[in-house]
Amino acid sequence: MSDQLTTDPSKPAQRMRAGSMTLTLGPWIVAAIALMVMPYIFTSNSALTIMNQMWITVVFALAYNMLLGQGGMLSFGHAVYMGLGGFFCMHLMNYIEDFGLAFPLPLLPLFGGLFGMGFAMIIGSFSTSGAGTRFAMISLGVGELIAACSVIIVAFFGGEEGISGDRTYGLPFFGVEFLKQIEVYYLISFWLMLSAVLMYLFSRTPVGRMANAVRDNPERAQFLGYSARWVRFYSFCASGFFCGIAGGLFAISYEILTEENLNATSSGVILLVTFLGGVGFFFGPIIGAIAFTLLQTVLSLQTELWAIYVGALFLATVMFFPGGLAGLMMMHVPALRLGKASGLVMPYIKTLIPGAIGVLGVCALIEMTFHFRHAAKGDHEMTLFWTTFDSHTVMPWLIAGIIAAVGLGVARATAPAMKEAWDEANTAGGAS
Amino acid sequence: MSTAALELTGLKKSFGKAEIIRGIDLSIGKAERHAIIGPNGAGKSTLFNLITARFPPSAGTVKLHGEDLAGLEPYQINRKGLSRSFQITNIFPKMTVFENVRCALLWSQGYKYSFWNLVNRSRALTEGAEAILEQINLLERRNLPAGTLSYAEQRALEIGITIAGGADVIMLDEPTAGMSHSETDYITDLIMKVTEGKTLIMVEHDMGVVFGLADRISVLVYGEIIATGKPEDVRADPRVQEAYLGAALEAEH
Repeated sequence: MSDQLTTDPSKPAQRMRAGSMTLTLGPWIVAAIALMVMPYIFTSNSALTIMNQMWITVVFALAYNMLLGQGGMLSFGHAVYMGLGGFFCMHLMNYIEDFGLAFPLPLLPLFGGLFGMGFAMIIGSFSTSGAGTRFAMISLGVGELIAACSVIIVAFFGGEEGISGDRTYGLPFFGVEFLKQIEVYYLISFWLMLSAVLMYLFSRTPVGRMANAVRDNPERAQFLGYSARWVRFYSFCASGFFCGIAGGLFAISYEILTEENLNATSSGVILLVTFLGGVGFFFGPIIGAIAFTLLQTVLSLQTELWAIYVGALFLATVMFFPGGLAGLMMMHVPALRLGKASGLVMPYIKTLIPGAIGVLGVCALIEMTFHFRHAAKGDHEMTLFWTTFDSHTVMPWLIAGIIAAVGLGVARATAPAMKEAWDEANTAGGAS
Repeated sequence: MSTAALELTGLKKSFGKAEIIRGIDLSIGKAERHAIIGPNGAGKSTLFNLITARFPPSAGTVKLHGEDLAGLEPYQINRKGLSRSFQITNIFPKMTVFENVRCALLWSQGYKYSFWNLVNRSRALTEGAEAILEQINLLERRNLPAGTLSYAEQRALEIGITIAGGADVIMLDEPTAGMSHSETDYITDLIMKVTEGKTLIMVEHDMGVVFGLADRISVLVYGEIIATGKPEDVRADPRVQEAYLGAALEAEH
């Protein structure tokens, strides 16, 4: 499944080589250009902050998926490797400041990566002997252990307030001192690009391929000369390395690390992000990280209940689209190949738009309930979807209820037609 | 005879109090095609699992080309040139057919755990995998996920993976189980072709396949080998007829 980005190897050898260059290089060039021009489109400082957070999450999610998607290892404590990398970089930053070391800041994430990998080597040496429940439980245990250590080993973790630093004391890098947000943006973008390319190439190496094989069938891999345990170990170390890089980027971007960067909540978030995006495809976690960061930052400005909606979205993904957003996109490839995707447009509009309106109706009901229960006494006025109304009167409830019922009802009524159109679009031949 | 390709001495295996393999001595020569037959529950698959270190034996030794395999892991044994297939199809279902075979080639082509080589760049890997696919007649299926192949094709792929690494001792566990007549013929020809010049040890229920392929046959009954010899000798052995073969041969006709 992770092979979708590469070439179709059935083509004759010569064409394959040329084709593989355009097919594999194309998305990377587009991504690099997008990274470069984004700050010119979204120029505000808050947009830069959101993008920085997004790209760091992308690196982290891709590194996490080296285990989950590529290696079939479910880790519940992966924030530890990013967090430790970050803490280490923070200390390095402070050393640079205290001792006036001549150290260029852009190199810092590399050391975060090495530290993350070092720690992954220690934990991986005993956790990777199995992939199932045992691995998951060890990862959870180690995660809790390190999170607990953060308040005990104050010298390294800084206790409850964490440790902070100042990135601008490093050696100016070609005159850049990283005072401005935009300079940090390009530093993060550079590391994102580099890490993503390296992680992709890792999946194309013998050990990366065997990670897939061990995921599918560890026993068979053993009978092909590969120790499942060592294959998992190498994936684990590589993942730890890129998590550490993400941690280093976090340290540079936020200049503070706390227990929050290590704890189970952060580990849970990255699992959610990766799964939301889709574990089966290399680019899945990228989509997941972008979608999640947008939801988290944009939606949280709109409503206090944003976590409920993200949770519901995650649940819906697990239940209905286990392939995640990437899987949902790739589902349409056969229809596109058959040239029948256009037949899907109208049925989609007929079902998904009423469905979306219905969901918004449900959201309105949830928001109104929340307001009704939790707003200050006497504060009956609330604003929702650019409308201000009194949440203690019947009318808004009625309207929201009707919108929810009608929207979902229409979606339900038209769903069979959409299903039919879907089947038709995915069948070769016949009248389209 | 020079050193045997595979030599078993006093091999035993018990699960708790149940003795499944009760002392097996067997020597299989180089380039010999050897079939192990016996009734259900005789311990044939257990014997395979002992040889390939899927389970540790309770007693006895397994020697591959004169070298004791005690204490080695399956992957180490595989690297010494012993490869096996499984009774229940054991492939990588989510990977493509081509990838399945290519993974089977990686170790033998010396790639080990390297993360500085790109598999797509290696012509030897691609051509090697394609040659195997051609042999097992699955070239047209190369880009399909292996899990979507038909049963017979998956069995063929299983054999392809088993032989791809260039092992000189090949162990096949019921390669034709659950196949139709034409599929059985196809697999038999395939086995014939791909094990040319190699040592083959195979568990098989289909007597047609056994007598068509094997140079020698061992009959395993209740964890013991009651007869070993050329097909015609085994067929004539009264003890074998009593224990197993008579019934099986009658069922055949």
